[in-house]
Amino acid sequence: MNFFEFVQDRWSLLWFQGYQHLSLVVQSLVIATLIAVVVAVLTYRSPLWSGLAEAGAAVGLTIPSFALFGLLIAFITSGVVLSVVALAFYGALPIVRNAVVGLRGVDPGLVESARGMGMNRFAILTRLQLPMAWPIILTGVRVSAQMLMGIAAIAAYASGPGLGSFIFSGLSRIGGANATNSAWAGILGVVVLAIVLDLVLNAVGRLTTSRGIRA
Amino acid sequence: MSDSTTLDMEAGEKDAPAVREGDPQPGRLRWVVQPALALLAIAACFAYTNTRELTSKQSLLQNDAMLSGGFRHLWLTAVAALLVIAISVPLGVALTRGPLRRHAGVILAFAGFGQAAPAVGLVVLAALYFGVGIWPFIGALTLYGILPVVANVVAGLNGVDQRLVEAGRGMGMSAFAVLRKVELPIAVPVMLTGVRTALVLMCGTAAFGGFVGAGGLGALINTGIKLGEQPLLLVGAVLIASLALLLDWIARVVEVVATPKGL
Repeated sequence: MNFFEFVQDRWSLLWFQGYQHLSLVVQSLVIATLIAVVVAVLTYRSPLWSGLAEAGAAVGLTIPSFALFGLLIAFITSGVVLSVVALAFYGALPIVRNAVVGLRGVDPGLVESARGMGMNRFAILTRLQLPMAWPIILTGVRVSAQMLMGIAAIAAYASGPGLGSFIFSGLSRIGGANATNSAWAGILGVVVLAIVLDLVLNAVGRLTTSRGIRA
Repeated sequence: MSDSTTLDMEAGEKDAPAVREGDPQPGRLRWVVQPALALLAIAACFAYTNTRELTSKQSLLQNDAMLSGGFRHLWLTAVAALLVIAISVPLGVALTRGPLRRHAGVILAFAGFGQAAPAVGLVVLAALYFGVGIWPFIGALTLYGILPVVANVVAGLNGVDQRLVEAGRGMGMSAFAVLRKVELPIAVPVMLTGVRTALVLMCGTAAFGGFVGAGGLGALINTGIKLGEQPLLLVGAVLIASLALLLDWIARVVEVVATPKGL
């Protein structure tokens, strides 16, 4: 069976696992973005706390994903919950830094004039600072998305969902029929999904960037 | 000289969102806290395994098993890192001159999408095509680490002030001498940032060695999952993460030491 026959033969399974993979990454990415923005909003005004948050994020990124999965397996039995926790953790790290940089980059003069117009802190944050910082935050989200796509492939080893199952079934059948096809299908599926998600996020960026700062 | 420094930093910062890396200049605290934390975690692992009765399923937690796994892990990472540097620097140089220069952006963008391929997939493919064992695995590690380094070699070389290159040429230096004595030294900090990123990536990827018979600390996690042994999972994960943190720290120290004095 050549690769194309294999893909045709397993199309429904491939489609299903691909959907699961994408859905896992997107949901984790939403949680990660929320966490990262909250952390950035709470810390960006203090150099000490935002420094700690950024250093923590940098250290977190050096933790190998396979090690984190291994660690979490010891505590969480559900493969799905475990995968979401691990992916949300990794996903938040690149976004934190960009969110801090973005919030800091808002012109203090604008904040001052918003206050002068009688806006309270919450209004300034939601109607001025976050929309201004959004393009930079979104850049972090896109970096995260690419990274999570690859990490999500490991989820299958911890009985989570996604295209990783094709890769691991190739591994467990080394030398057997279709082992190579299966691994290729999983890898190429992940790459295609990564490209699609990047294009979608790019479009989301265009649609959600405030009109005043749209390039 | 100060001009070239700012250019260099711009090159580094422009790439920052694309490259997986932390703050370029960590706080003074981190120089001490990071290695201390890692060494403490490793010590805690050994203390933990030596103070409890090991069952027959936990033979991987014996001191010599953990030490040999750790050294194998480091060895795999180090060999792959040397290969990555040996391949990436000439490749990066080639991409910044001659006919390839114009296409460097496109080539790197395509390579970027290739990087989205999951590391574990590369490891499995290498084993499928070239068999299980150490060298196919090192090949996969190397392939995975090349892009971050090549991207930074290109960024570093492109960040070199062209006036310095012309000054070198004007002094009668050959193109190769300018590359060796001016461009490469100035690009060293940016290049080393890429090497550090690759080191950390590969130390994490080396954890997949247990899948394909290449050894390393990943075997602890694999066995832990198979046998449902939490101590194996915990110790394996903590040791791998600690090694990654130590390597990151060592690479940062090398960055500081290897940066030419003029910069």
